[in-house]
Amino acid sequence: MCKRLLTPLLLVLSLLSTFSLSSQAKEVSTDYQFPLHSPFEATIAGTPSALRPPLPDSDNIHQHDYTLRLRPEREHSLPSNFWPVKTFRYRLASQKGPAPLVFIIAGTGAHYTSGTMEYLKKLFYGAGFHVAQISSPTSYDFMVGASPYATPGYSPQDAFDLYAVMRAIKQQQSNLEVTAWHLTGYSLGGLQAAFVSHLDEREGTFNFKRVLLLNPPVNLYTSVSNLNRLVHTQVLDEQDPRTFYQLMLDKITHYFSSKGHFNFDEAVLFELQSSSQKLTSNELAMLIGSVFRFAAADINFTSDLINRRGMITPIQKRIYDGTSLTPYFKKALLCDFECYIEKQLLPLWRVHFKDKMSIRSKGSDLEKLTYASSLYALSGYLKANHKIAVMHNADDIILGPGDLGFLKQHFGERATIYPYGGHLGNLDYRDNAADILEFFHE
Amino acid sequence: MSKARLLRSLSAGSVLCLAAFQASWAENIDADGFKNPLQQLQFNSQQDVFEFERATLDALHISDPLEQWNRRVYHFNYRFDQWVFLPAVRGYSTVTPHFIRKGVSNFFSNLGEIPTLANNILQLKGHRSMETTARILFNTILGIGGLWDPASKMGLIKHKEDFGQTLGFYGVPPGPYLMLPFLGPSNARDTGGIVADFSLDKAVDWMNMAETSRRNPEIYGLQIVDQRYITKLRYGQLNSPFEYEKIRYAYTKARELQIAE
Repeated sequence: MCKRLLTPLLLVLSLLSTFSLSSQAKEVSTDYQFPLHSPFEATIAGTPSALRPPLPDSDNIHQHDYTLRLRPEREHSLPSNFWPVKTFRYRLASQKGPAPLVFIIAGTGAHYTSGTMEYLKKLFYGAGFHVAQISSPTSYDFMVGASPYATPGYSPQDAFDLYAVMRAIKQQQSNLEVTAWHLTGYSLGGLQAAFVSHLDEREGTFNFKRVLLLNPPVNLYTSVSNLNRLVHTQVLDEQDPRTFYQLMLDKITHYFSSKGHFNFDEAVLFELQSSSQKLTSNELAMLIGSVFRFAAADINFTSDLINRRGMITPIQKRIYDGTSLTPYFKKALLCDFECYIEKQLLPLWRVHFKDKMSIRSKGSDLEKLTYASSLYALSGYLKANHKIAVMHNADDIILGPGDLGFLKQHFGERATIYPYGGHLGNLDYRDNAADILEFFHE
Repeated sequence: MSKARLLRSLSAGSVLCLAAFQASWAENIDADGFKNPLQQLQFNSQQDVFEFERATLDALHISDPLEQWNRRVYHFNYRFDQWVFLPAVRGYSTVTPHFIRKGVSNFFSNLGEIPTLANNILQLKGHRSMETTARILFNTILGIGGLWDPASKMGLIKHKEDFGQTLGFYGVPPGPYLMLPFLGPSNARDTGGIVADFSLDKAVDWMNMAETSRRNPEIYGLQIVDQRYITKLRYGQLNSPFEYEKIRYAYTKARELQIAE
C-alpha cells in the first residue's frame, strides 16, 4: 500500500511550520489539571464525572427528532431492511425565544444522538443556544439518507452534502427565531466544519459568525493511517490461545468477581484502571483501533451496496428483512480505511472530481485526494479568517509530526492546544467546556 | 445521594492513582509541542498478525440457527418501538411528573426482587439473599409498598438475579440465540428462565399483585410502559447495518458476565 504520503510540498510545509515559532498558539494556563495523562486512557474513559461542567437535565430541554426526505429515489431501490435510514433524521433543541443556533457535526461514523453529540448539545443549550445535531457524513444513516454518492472521505463533497442538509434544516425550521448561525464539529466533523464554512463564504446561506474545530485531523491520511496502526499493537503472547476480545472479557470478569457485584457504570473504567486488571496502553490502543475498524466496515458495506459495486454484496443479491448480513459483515471487516480509500473512494474521485479540482497539486492521485481533503487545502482561508478557531491536544492520537505546527502557524492565537486529553478525552473537562463557550460568546 | 458522592470520591481517588502511576516512557516532544503518542506503543513486528480480524471473526460465531426468524423479529421490534412503544413512553413522560415515574419504577422494581431472592437462594448465595430480603422488607414497609427506595440509601446493593442466570450458574448452556417479540434479545435458556420467573411471581402473589392485576389488566400496561421507560436500549442506536450482529454479541457476553460474577 502506498505509504509515500507526504509530497515534497507537504514535507516542506510541515518543516516550515515546525520551526517557525513566530506565530504562537494561545497559551493554556499552566494549572490545567486534566487528570489523565495517558492519551489512550483519556480517549476511552473521557473526563471523570466530578470534573465535568454542570449541564441541563434532559427533561428540561425542548427537543425533537425531525425527518427530511432527501433521497426519495432510494426508498424503493434499496432493500427493505434499510427502512430506518431511508429518510434522514436530525435532532433540534430549541430555546423558547430568539437565540443563536449552533450546528454540530458528528465525528467518524457517529450518529446525531451519540454521547459526544448529546454532551455538546447540553453544553450549548445550557448557555442559551438553539442546537441542531447532524450525523457524520461517514455514518450509516447519513450515507443512505442524505449523501448522493454515499462514498465519504473527499472533504469538499462531504461539505457539500452537509451544506444541503443544513439548508434543508433551515427551511424546515423557518419558524425558529435564529439571531446568528454558528458551526462546530469534532474529530472528522471538525475538519468538515472548516470545509462547510469555506463553502458558505461562496454560497452565503448562513454567514457563520463563529466556527470551532474540535480535535480535527490536519492531514486526513495521517489520521487514517494512525488509526489503522492501532489494531496492530502487541496484546497477546504468541502461545496465548485467546483472542483479544476474550482477553478483555477475562479481565473484566476477574475485576467484577473480585469486586463482588456487577455494575457497569461510568466509574467502572477508572476503577478498573487502578485494579490489578488494568488495561495496558497497547490494549487500550487496540480497543480504539477496533472501534474505527467497525466504522470502516459499516462504510465499506454501505457504500458498496448503495453504489452496487459488487465488491462486498453481489450485485444481484436480493436482501430481505430476514437475510443474514453476517457474510458481508465478515467481508467488510477485512477492509480497513486505507483499503476503503483505495478500493472505493479513489475510483469514484477519479471519475467525478479529479478534473474539477481548483487546487493543482503534484503527486499521485492518493496524494492529491489527501491534499484536497485535508486542512492544507484551506491554508489561506484559515489564516485570514478570524471567525474560525481550533482546539486540539498535544497528545492526540490522530495527529502526526508537523500537524500542531501547521495549526499554530495558520490559526495563531485562535489555536488552543491542551497538554493532555488524547483524542477528545478532555472535551467534557470543565476548563475545555468553559473555553468552548467563551469562544461562542465573544 | 451519598452513594453518588462515594462513587465520585472513589473515581476521583482512582484517577489520582492513575496519574501517579503513569508509565514513565521517555517522552520525545517535537519542537511544535507534539508528543507523538503512538511512540508509547509496541507494534507487532511480523506483518502477518491480524489480531483484529482473527478476534472479530471468532466473535461472530454464536449459535443462531433461527437467524432468519430472529432478524424478522428484530425488524418487527424495531418498528413496534418506533411506532407504538416509544410514543407511549413519551406520552407517559409528558403526563406524569418525574417523582411519580420514579415511584412507579421503584414499585415494580421492588416486586421484581421476589424472583431475585428466589434465584439467590437457588444459587446458595447467602449474603446476597439476606441483602435482598432486607431490601424487600425495608422498601415495602418504610418505602410504603416499594414506592420509595430507602434500602439503596442505606447502602444495600440491588442484585438482579433471574432464573436464566441460575440455570447458567449450574452449567446449563445458553442454547440458540432468540430474538423475542416485544422483549428483545434472549436465548433458549433465558427464555425458559423468563417463563419460570413469571410463574413464580404468580404463585407467590406478593402484596396480592398477581391477583389485583388479573382483575385490573391496566396494571400490566403500566408495568410494560415502565419497563420500556427504564430500558435504555434503542433500536438503531448503534447506527450500523450490522446492529443485529452487535446486539447478539453484546447480549451473549453480558449474560456470561452476569452469570460469572
